[in-house]
Amino acid sequence: MTRKRPNYLAGLGSLVWLFVVGLPLYVMLIATFRTRADYAANGPLGLPDDLTLDNYLNDLDDGFARYFLNTAIVTVCVVGIVLLLVPPLAYAIVRSDGKATGRVFRLFLLGLAIPSQAVIVPMFYLINEAGLYDNLIGVILPTAAFAMPVCVLVLTGVMRDITSELYEAMTVDGASTRRIFLQLVLPLSRSGLSTVVVFSALQAWNGFLFPLVLTQSSQNKVITMGLYDFQTEHGVDIPGLLAAVVLSVIPILLVYLFARRALVQGLMGVGGK
Amino acid sequence: MKRHARLLRTAVVGGASLAMTLSLAACGGSADGDSGTIHVLVYGDATNKVEKQLVDTFNKTSKVKAVLDTVPGADYQAKLQTIISGKQAPDVFFNWGGGSIEPYVDAGLLKPLDDFIAEDPGLKANFLPSVFDTAVVDGKPYGVPMRGTQPVLLFSNKKVLQDAGVTTPRTWDELLATVGTLKAKGITPIALGGGDKWPTQMWFQYVYDRVAGPELFEKAVKGDKEVWASADSRKALGMLEELIDTGAFGTNYDSVKFTDGGSPALLATGKAAFELMGSWEYSTLQDAYPDFVKNDLGYGTFPTVEGGKGDARNVAGNTNNFYSVLRTTEHPEAVAEFLKLMYSDEFVEAQLAVGNLPTTTNTPEFLDRAANPEYSKYQYDLVKEAPAFQLSWDQAFPPAATTTLHQAVQQFFNGQTDTDSFIAAMQSLPAA
Amino acid sequence: MTTATASAADGEKTRNRRRPARPGAGPGRPGFAWAAPAAVFFGLFALVPLLLVAVLSFTRWNGLGSPEFAGLENWSALLDDPVMVKSLWLSLVLTVLGVAVQTPLSILLGVWAAGHQRNRAVLSAIYFVPLLLSITAVSVLWRAVLDPNFGIPAQAKWLFGDGNLFGVQAGALGVLVFVSTWQFTPLHTLLYQGAARAVPRVLYQAAQIDGAGRVRQFFHITLPQLRNTVVTSTILMVVGGLTTFDTVLILTQGGPGTDTTNSAYYMYQKAFKSFDFGTASAVALLLVLVAGLVSLVMVRLSGYDRMRSTLEGV
Repeated sequence: MTRKRPNYLAGLGSLVWLFVVGLPLYVMLIATFRTRADYAANGPLGLPDDLTLDNYLNDLDDGFARYFLNTAIVTVCVVGIVLLLVPPLAYAIVRSDGKATGRVFRLFLLGLAIPSQAVIVPMFYLINEAGLYDNLIGVILPTAAFAMPVCVLVLTGVMRDITSELYEAMTVDGASTRRIFLQLVLPLSRSGLSTVVVFSALQAWNGFLFPLVLTQSSQNKVITMGLYDFQTEHGVDIPGLLAAVVLSVIPILLVYLFARRALVQGLMGVGGK
Repeated sequence: MKRHARLLRTAVVGGASLAMTLSLAACGGSADGDSGTIHVLVYGDATNKVEKQLVDTFNKTSKVKAVLDTVPGADYQAKLQTIISGKQAPDVFFNWGGGSIEPYVDAGLLKPLDDFIAEDPGLKANFLPSVFDTAVVDGKPYGVPMRGTQPVLLFSNKKVLQDAGVTTPRTWDELLATVGTLKAKGITPIALGGGDKWPTQMWFQYVYDRVAGPELFEKAVKGDKEVWASADSRKALGMLEELIDTGAFGTNYDSVKFTDGGSPALLATGKAAFELMGSWEYSTLQDAYPDFVKNDLGYGTFPTVEGGKGDARNVAGNTNNFYSVLRTTEHPEAVAEFLKLMYSDEFVEAQLAVGNLPTTTNTPEFLDRAANPEYSKYQYDLVKEAPAFQLSWDQAFPPAATTTLHQAVQQFFNGQTDTDSFIAAMQSLPAA
Repeated sequence: MTTATASAADGEKTRNRRRPARPGAGPGRPGFAWAAPAAVFFGLFALVPLLLVAVLSFTRWNGLGSPEFAGLENWSALLDDPVMVKSLWLSLVLTVLGVAVQTPLSILLGVWAAGHQRNRAVLSAIYFVPLLLSITAVSVLWRAVLDPNFGIPAQAKWLFGDGNLFGVQAGALGVLVFVSTWQFTPLHTLLYQGAARAVPRVLYQAAQIDGAGRVRQFFHITLPQLRNTVVTSTILMVVGGLTTFDTVLILTQGGPGTDTTNSAYYMYQKAFKSFDFGTASAVALLLVLVAGLVSLVMVRLSGYDRMRSTLEGV
């Protein structure tokens, strides 16, 4: 290690940031175990008079379990679609010699700049015309489409690092394009693929606008909608609301605890290393 | 390397087929036969259980089955507008009457209820007229009241008033004096959820009514732009300005919301003395601060204004919510039967049980069994006796006006605009 | 995996280090068919709607019935609309402030976290948590925490005064920037952490022999080496900043007045509050054009799109 002297300034700064990050999380967590009257009387920072689990129980009664399932379905499907479509595309962009694939790449780069809310009105009509309104598929398809540009960017970046010697070696062996893709490109793009999985999963898990406009009934509600509805319906119940927030994070927090390394590595990959 | 490739391929293929399976499962879950059903779309909130109960009752005897769909509050109007002219349009839907259904009437989407009423006069006669009239557009009835009436009342914290040695103000001048006294004691006189904007609008509704009578706004909503620049209008704005300038609402009201519990909490915890709010304030407080409601919650009408043209008994607020019917519904007979439930004894009892106050003529028979009989009776008599019931401004105007209206009231309160620009903003609103 | 230390965005270095694949027809080269499914899918769900937006921007439509052709009516109305101009300005302010606050913060945190000490790993794990919350959840949380009467401002009057954060423009904008920073700094910190770890050790060792202090090392070695990451992270911040929507919807609703009504929110308001889909589409298209232009410039700067030719031109 090159650094011997501890860096006190950086240490202090990191503690300040810990405070900024930790304080609201602490407030949230502690508030979920308090009654509404207690929260209003003692303030968010005050110590609670006594603790209760009612906030969580009430939220679960409100159908949050169903929302979890829906969000999980959406997330799995979005990740599936992206994994199915993006790797061959990135492969073609990096290795194809046709002009067309270059244009496709530029198209996706421009796609980075299309905010999803800009197309929400026509999206509604397309989905409605396709008979997919208030159907999870109607949420999955556009969510996957809008997760693609970043994934393409990441994956092409990673695939470019595969040297031509490797390709040539396989070509000499008489390997088909497909075999090269499956046996060379995919295995060597693992880091990029994990980034793609993490990124698209986060997009799907946290999706807001598409479910807001494209679904309606409670059987097709996802967690973010559950949360938003909760705020509009029981906004006055801050502890209950925050308990709902905590519930919405638990699954992804579990993933984080058990697969932190993969998740962090995956996200680092967005920066192209 | 080969092993990795196989693993990856398995993962990809497996993931994809899982995705397909799940999509199909999701698809199968929400498909339902279309024949023989009517879809009922309502605003999603805590009182949906009443609508659910009535749909169940209806389905017990009807061959055509009703299906209840709910859309959560904030997005209801947007969602309705986007689906009402398409395949997903409901047969029967919740609305606020007035401007909220005007665009649909203009577009020829709604069914006038004259035929239904001719067959069963009870569909009109069994409701309080001032309420039923809210959903009359161009002389034709388009809605049947389906929830409770929600007049706006002046709520107070009796303990705070007592400690400060003041009583509930009966006139505008008394209100100003009371505000001064409370301020001197370090209490925010009036709680206001300015962040939501519509609570701010309530002050305009009542002051305009008391000063100019209900006619001014009636003309304004029909497109008469001159009334906003009238002497009465300017007088009302001047009074509001005076009240704001005395610091009646404190300084941070635009950061406070009713919808997240901010302003009712101010009232209940004694940090503020008054709040002008819809009658739902009672149940909101009942949930969070039952002791306060039992001991110290006061409620009354808006103060009178000396020399004003408005009757002191006039109220403002949401007259009720309504069910309107789509012209293209395939089962009008079933819809008519469904609407008849809206004046049934079961309906009244169920609404009272969740704290809503129905506006049917048979309601008084059940008031003793209401969750809060005294409060319910007070409101029912108030609405019944009121010479005029002013529908909330943002409901009376068509939805296209809401944003401008809300911004104008907020900017007038926080001093970003003056009287003249407020008048100009109101004159720019599209007429109903 | 050591080859991965070279930044993908750094075309120059890649060229020097190895001989890239040579173009030319032949076996083992994927054809357009490999790109087609993704292109069609993306076209259908992103480009077709965008085209429809362009068409709608020339129509009058409230969602009922069919759109009527209105020519340039919406566009000329927008040019005279003070709120529209203000909203573009606000989008820009939000973006610039976001970049200005998040970039130094995440570089410092990222470089700090790149160290392998145990306490840093633990703290980094905690820093990461805000990223796991959805924007909805984060906005809901901060709305509650910043309530002037029952949130932290009520208990820290020395800092917040009367707590009227959402009632004045500076306060409301500040909250929006702060909340985005709170949520997205972890992501950018991660990017910089990854990049800082990839900086070759020898550079630092050489600098230490020269007697360079920590500060000089940071400015002369670390920062230049992070150049490409700065571009990537800035693109993400800019596109995110220009399209800030959920936080505005939940935290400020564009208020007070129109003081935080940025273009994305203005578009939503025009479409789903006023049901003026024609004007809303014009705003949307304007937003896409601005965002497209900005990211085009940045993509050019970063060399993402030139990458292919740089590689294949050898």
